[in-house]
Amino acid sequence: MVPHINFKSGVPVYLQIVQQVKAAAAGGTLRPGDPLPSVRSLAEELRINRNTAARAYSELEAEGVIETRQGAGCYLKANGVSPLRRTVRSDRLAEELDAVIVQAHHLQVGDDELLELLRERLREFRERLAQRQRVEAAPH
Amino acid sequence: MSPVIDLRELTHRYGRTEALHGLSLTVEPGCCYGFFGRNGAGKTTAIKCLLNLLRPASGSVSVFGMDPARHEAAVKSRLAYVPDFVAFYPWMNVREALDYQSSFRVRWNRDTEAMLLSRFGLDVRQPVSGLSKGQRTQLALIGAISAEPELLVLDEPTSGLDPLVRREFIQTVIGAYQEADPGRRTVFVSTHLITEFEGLIDRFTVLEQGRAVLTAGADEARSKFRRLRAVFEGDAPSGAEFRGAKSFRRDGRTLELVVNGDGDRVMEQLRSCGPRTVETESLTLEEIFLTSVRGGGNAS
Repeated sequence: MVPHINFKSGVPVYLQIVQQVKAAAAGGTLRPGDPLPSVRSLAEELRINRNTAARAYSELEAEGVIETRQGAGCYLKANGVSPLRRTVRSDRLAEELDAVIVQAHHLQVGDDELLELLRERLREFRERLAQRQRVEAAPH
Repeated sequence: MSPVIDLRELTHRYGRTEALHGLSLTVEPGCCYGFFGRNGAGKTTAIKCLLNLLRPASGSVSVFGMDPARHEAAVKSRLAYVPDFVAFYPWMNVREALDYQSSFRVRWNRDTEAMLLSRFGLDVRQPVSGLSKGQRTQLALIGAISAEPELLVLDEPTSGLDPLVRREFIQTVIGAYQEADPGRRTVFVSTHLITEFEGLIDRFTVLEQGRAVLTAGADEARSKFRRLRAVFEGDAPSGAEFRGAKSFRRDGRTLELVVNGDGDRVMEQLRSCGPRTVETESLTLEEIFLTSVRGGGNAS
């Protein structure tokens, strides 16, 4: 899984990587135990500074999304249990949601429409996950 | 950690032409610092002051906390400089040119040298007189990076190169350079070709007519500089009404504004004019550069 960087999004580059790895984990594209590209190849692939790639990984590690195995690279952590306390977790989420609300306001998307969109996205993620599980369960 | 480069109020003139006017900037260790400006903006003059190739008329220069005029050898042993035009002794081949360079250096990483030679496909037996402009730059960069300096100063490293080669090449070089000790390997790169450095630059200064017109972190700048594009049912309002908008373009029903950190307020004002749609996106470093050297509003 290689993230895609959009320099026009206004989101810091390291944060784009963090968000996309988390999204891939939530959507089932990345599964527990899956390897991530090394800092070096990630930097080369995305044409970004090595320090930026390293910062993204240390952030993901601090949040308990990935783990570094000595000399063997980074992996998506089994069972993705967030080590952050519940209040910290909801604070983080609130920040992200604020950004979405601001963006919705700019795009003139009303409250009801936004809520409906959120429900639709949640359904979409659930379906994707279910689909992956079906594919796995199917005999080869 | 003290800064690797610290320029304070640097001023220099050639005859009656002022090349630098009160330029100040600070580069922290491990940073990839962009020095952006048009041709003739004063980039090379500033770099020459940094390397003690030129004494500034006034102001101070500090590299690794030392004055390069008083500690020239100590400063130069810790940095490598690749100018925009590289000269080699024409009778040498690639191998001899690298050996010659390494003879001046305390450190020389043979593995890095071999890796880059093979990556660029340079034949060590080839005479340097037969190298293309791009190959000469590649050779100079191999020499600079194999010496494992703490500071790499690049002056227009990719100008005159094939655009396809350019991006891959700069990524390879800077990646190889940062490999061993990323926290302490500092890059100072002057260029007017900004796109290929977009993801590498941590911080930058835009130089225009010898003055620093903008200094910012790359992420910070991209989140502040935004383009707002509104489409109206009828004719778009005049952009001049929007205070805080840096530049604007009006084309029939479409109005485009560029803002610097004032986005939310200008967006409110824009929305109050009742547009059909409003979109917003960040500017790339190259667009930020163009906006800052062009100055304020280009009225339509």
